[in-house]
Amino acid sequence: MAVDISDPAFLEGLKRKERARQRPSWLRLAIASLLLVAYLVPFYYLFVTIFKTTDEYLRSSVLDLPNSLAPFWDNVVQAWTLGGMGRASINSMSYAVLGAGLATALAAAAAYGLTRLKLRSANAWFMLIFAGTLFPFQMFLVPLFFGFQRTGLINSWGGMVLVYTAICIPFPLLVLRGSFGAIAREIDEAARIEGASEWRVFASMIVPNAKGALIALFLIQFTFIWNDLLFSSILAGSPEVRSIMVALQALQGTYSSTGPNVVVTASLLSSVPTVLLFIFLRRYFMSGLQLGT
Amino acid sequence: MQAPQTPPISAAIRAEAHRREVAARRRSGRVALVFIAPALALVALFLLLPVLFNLGLSFTRWQRFSGLDEFGGLMNYQRLFMVPYLSEVVINTAMWVIGAITLPLAFGLGLALLLRGVPGEGLFKALFFLPRVLAPAAVGTIWFYVYAPDGVINTLAGAAVGQEIDYGWLFESHTITPAIIMTFVWQTLGINMVLLLLGMAAIPRDPIEAAHVDGASSWQIFRHIIWPLLLPTVFVVTILNVIAGFTAFDLIWVMGNGYPAQRSLSLAVFMYYETFSNSRWAFGAAIAVMLSALVILVSWALTVMQSRVEARIR
Repeated sequence: MAVDISDPAFLEGLKRKERARQRPSWLRLAIASLLLVAYLVPFYYLFVTIFKTTDEYLRSSVLDLPNSLAPFWDNVVQAWTLGGMGRASINSMSYAVLGAGLATALAAAAAYGLTRLKLRSANAWFMLIFAGTLFPFQMFLVPLFFGFQRTGLINSWGGMVLVYTAICIPFPLLVLRGSFGAIAREIDEAARIEGASEWRVFASMIVPNAKGALIALFLIQFTFIWNDLLFSSILAGSPEVRSIMVALQALQGTYSSTGPNVVVTASLLSSVPTVLLFIFLRRYFMSGLQLGT
Repeated sequence: MQAPQTPPISAAIRAEAHRREVAARRRSGRVALVFIAPALALVALFLLLPVLFNLGLSFTRWQRFSGLDEFGGLMNYQRLFMVPYLSEVVINTAMWVIGAITLPLAFGLGLALLLRGVPGEGLFKALFFLPRVLAPAAVGTIWFYVYAPDGVINTLAGAAVGQEIDYGWLFESHTITPAIIMTFVWQTLGINMVLLLLGMAAIPRDPIEAAHVDGASSWQIFRHIIWPLLLPTVFVVTILNVIAGFTAFDLIWVMGNGYPAQRSLSLAVFMYYETFSNSRWAFGAAIAVMLSALVILVSWALTVMQSRVEARIR
């Protein structure tokens, strides 16, 4: 079909189509805004509830605005003391920082060994480590529980750090094998000729080159460990080592004696670290998603 | 280009060079093993050995206080079919799998198409993504009260129809699983949308522009250009969703807290209950093996389909 592009009727048609394509964006904005409002209703509930006393919660409608902001501190104090959340949050913070940090570091070292050194059948070694993630977590529960009981690792802080570190190694290894493999060979060849040790090459040449991926991986694993309920509820039930999610669940389980306002406040408190990390490091979270696919 | 002229080298020097290279490669390989060793040791000890142990365990008669020694053959797998509430477990798990495959993808895709190019796209994306960073246990806790008889859902529904509603969504066998699945969708919608938007961003604009100029409708453009090119991303997202659906635990554990037949709400909860509440360790191990087999089978099938689709696109 031959088109005369100087034909005014044709140009007018093009312009009309272009305008038609621009217009729906406002309609779409309105629809998206409505959906967002509906989507955020649970957050609205969360934010009115943390400012209510138990008495007020039970007497008024759940959607009513609170009478005053003052009960918030009382709710925080109650959640903190009744649920033992203070101790639990310190535990979870140490599990998440150490577990995610160690896992990312060990995965980085392994990825270096797999990609930058002359290792025979590197692929088989990789598959061996990566095989750990093929199975759903349920496959590990009985053996870990039994093994932890036998060795005395059950209800121990060190045992939790070890198990979280191990679970968090395979995924970063998969990602880092890709990012280390993409770094130019010349970088480490040159360093080795100058007499740098393999450790030097790893720590000061390769790791800085993959900083973004390392941060994203740390964040993903940190969030996973902080949010974990399954492993910690089985392996660390005692109050000294229990995780924040186990503490939250114990509080919710006794909801008849603890007001919903306190339990909901506790669930907000338990989410503060991951939400803050997300807000301030959103860039890395989003790049982490790209790593995963 | 000139052919490289190698100066004549004596056989002795060449052999020496070869020997050195082999030695260097061997040294490099040994160093590599040192770098791998810590990761491998932890994974072997805490993940690989447990998998083997669990598999072996599933063929024993082991209960909490009996010995490990008695071989039971397929006893535990046969016992699975004698569980009186097995049909409920299967139905609930099937609802989870179907719900997890279809709903987050459908809503995530709709949202991704809706938000593309809308003013303030970044803010919308961040807000829809936000529930994803909350712990499933925290989300479950909040939604436990949202679904409560005096909760948000009943209050809103009551206001809409003009009379008081105090339905116990999480206490009725007909509504508990759909209700928890909707919470799951609420939480995973954001990541589905973001992954699909990433996939869409990689689609070239030229064919879409050309189709627009030729007068194709939005639906035609979606059906014939965007959807085929987006399929690989759709498969990745679906694999993630189906694994999450099969192994759903945290939300059900927290939200099914007050439901009498909580153990029948999913395979993962069923496994947890039989193992740790009933102390039937070998039986629990067998359920875990069945669950693993299902997950691996389904993700393998989806991966095969994905590679077929990718081959067709190229």
